[in-house]
Amino acid sequence: MPDRETTTKASADFEAPDGITESDLGRVMRIVPLGAGVLAGGTVALIVLGWLIIYLFVFLPRGTVG
Amino acid sequence: MTQTHPELSERRILATELLWSVGVAVLVIAIIAMVLVTALTMGVNPPSNVERIDPKTLHLSGEFAEQNLGTMVGSDGSVTARVIATQFMFVPRCIQVPEGRKVTLRMTSPDVIHGILVTGTNVNTMVIPGYVAQVHTVFMRTGDLLMPCHEYCGLGHSEMYAVVQVVPQNEFKPDSNGRPVCAKR
Repeated sequence: MPDRETTTKASADFEAPDGITESDLGRVMRIVPLGAGVLAGGTVALIVLGWLIIYLFVFLPRGTVG
Repeated sequence: MTQTHPELSERRILATELLWSVGVAVLVIAIIAMVLVTALTMGVNPPSNVERIDPKTLHLSGEFAEQNLGTMVGSDGSVTARVIATQFMFVPRCIQVPEGRKVTLRMTSPDVIHGILVTGTNVNTMVIPGYVAQVHTVFMRTGDLLMPCHEYCGLGHSEMYAVVQVVPQNEFKPDSNGRPVCAKR
């Protein structure tokens, strides 16, 4: 269990001014969701592209079946 | 920090989620549409024949009696290959089929569950005792294609395989009974 002094110091560190302004935060938060979207979209696009390549160039040329 | 950024508002999050959902829905619909179109126009479907047969008597009479096994060309020109999958062999071990022509594979098992695939093709089905597995296909390239059992059926499973000999149309010459024989390689 942390002693009282450590807890107080940690809280003080958390609350300490870090020099980040509201406009800085706003600018970053406009970019971060875009990056997440690009990463997720790119990943899904790669998976779909892989499926498409295998479906069109491996599966279908192997002939009809049913 | 008490001020809420507009970028963090629930409305913005909802719009992003909706955009993502629409994008994924479009992809899923496009993939399903592509699968459906190829299924309807090119005949690419999972084999779905449901046909019962008595596994205890299939060797005595009927289409899986010994004299009917192997490839047979019907009077209408249809090519049907009948094979029994049993521990631990296929009977017959080689079937000859023509390239570029519709072929029907019919298989059954008298003992345990087996499975087959023909390498380099989409032919892939289970062979279950009591049922007739049927696959329609067109072989697009010539050669000796390996057809192994792909469902573990016992200690000899790894030795259980057959060969599908695909020959050009002009080399596919069934005898007067409509029975082609595998060429010696």
